[in-house]
Amino acid sequence: MDPLKSISQIAASGMLAQSARLQVVAENVANAETTGTSPGDDPYQRKTISFEQYLDPETGLTMVRVGEVGRDDTPFTLRYEPSHPAADEDGVVKVSNVSPILEMANMREASRSYEANMNLYEAGRRMRSQMIDLLK
Amino acid sequence: MKLQEMSFFALASQRMEWLGARQKVIAENVANADTPGFKAQDVASFREVLDNAAPSGGMTVTSSKHIAGADPVGGSVRVKDDEEAWAASIDGNTVVLEQQSIKANEISESYSLAANMYRKGYELLTLAVTGIR
Repeated sequence: MDPLKSISQIAASGMLAQSARLQVVAENVANAETTGTSPGDDPYQRKTISFEQYLDPETGLTMVRVGEVGRDDTPFTLRYEPSHPAADEDGVVKVSNVSPILEMANMREASRSYEANMNLYEAGRRMRSQMIDLLK
Repeated sequence: MKLQEMSFFALASQRMEWLGARQKVIAENVANADTPGFKAQDVASFREVLDNAAPSGGMTVTSSKHIAGADPVGGSVRVKDDEEAWAASIDGNTVVLEQQSIKANEISESYSLAANMYRKGYELLTLAVTGIR
């Protein structure tokens, strides 16, 4: 397969992986305040995502794909709030282990990596159009 | 007369082929910028392509009865681990986005140069044949 053509496929796989990561970040941020509904219930557990390289058998290109979406085992934050429906007998509520700062950093990194892939796609496209221009 | 047989055009198109294959490798690096354990790759130098010292990915044909293996993407350009990666992160990944961006830009510029050289050579021929600029 023509390398210039394959660049767009590789960059697309990178963008797909980064957007999956952004989706996980969005889920985490949206559920940052999610608690259980009955006393002693566990709240939302932060999701994690990892990537793995993937050799496409048809084209022989090294692409990237989402490896595993797991759960973060960091202990939940405890908050004293006896009136909460999820408070146990001591009045303590378990709050999710999402850290907004961490998610924000993750979000930035994902969008920057997305941009980097987009730039390469653009570079490949430019190179291809330069080559096609030779036909004029 | 074939354009391909004139060393000037052969050189320019070889250069463009090499740059295209290199840009593909850079794209793979950037796509895997966050993959744990991924080692940044680069291609062997253009000189190696010119010397044709690079063992191609396909199998060598030593008898007329052999079937030549299909050329891998990028033909005879050899892909290797990048020895000059700026840094490695804790997860063993050696892709540095800044370095890759610089490389991608360099490649784009060189590609543009090679394409323009090709065009110039062609214009030169046209001028010689027609006398019209």
